[in-house]
Amino acid sequence: MAVQVRIPTIFRKFTNNQAVLEVDPGTVAAIVDQIDVRHPGFKQQVLTDAGDLHRFVNVYVNDEDARYLDKLETRVADGDTISLLPSVAGGAPRR
Amino acid sequence: MVDHCRGERPNEACGLLATHKERVVKVFRMTNASGSPVRYSLDAAEQLAAYKKIDKEGWELGGIFHSHTHTEAYPSPTDVREAHEDVPYVIVSLADESPDIRAFRITKDNWRDEDGLVEEIPVVIERLDE
Repeated sequence: MAVQVRIPTIFRKFTNNQAVLEVDPGTVAAIVDQIDVRHPGFKQQVLTDAGDLHRFVNVYVNDEDARYLDKLETRVADGDTISLLPSVAGGAPRR
Repeated sequence: MVDHCRGERPNEACGLLATHKERVVKVFRMTNASGSPVRYSLDAAEQLAAYKKIDKEGWELGGIFHSHTHTEAYPSPTDVREAHEDVPYVIVSLADESPDIRAFRITKDNWRDEDGLVEEIPVVIERLDE
């Protein structure tokens, strides 16, 4: 068992085109670091310059939004799945 | 898709299009978490559930659609700025009696860029009952 991280298409160019990565359990922050070691530059894409969760990226640990858990300190255990979801939004011009 | 857009008025409607071999196989009617006539956003939990279904069925995320209740079916500056997914964006304009459906690719150097290149792509409608 391990932790699976589901990578959306927009990040796959930073993960050698892999859609699912297997990592060791730990906090979300530690897992992002693990991926960044294997795929340098990944962390910069997913987090803000200050190293926080980016508002355009939703991080789900199983079916829970990490923002409502412990954010980057959320612990992810063996067998859990992390899903990274880019925010989807838009709007008409105001006339 | 058009039915969902009409049904959500006065607010903008949004949803996902699942494809298989370049054909839309399912229209996901999603909640507009912004609940606004001029803005849409997906609820992330709903988005996750849809993505999981897409993966499970062996489909692809073929597009994201939303409606413009009164303006033309063309990406607004907000649409471009908030285009983070790398899939076709379908816009349904309800400005006229008959809906106008157009699709676009919004290409950015980096997914977080505010600006992007908007290129229209063809829409082929085989059936209007979804």
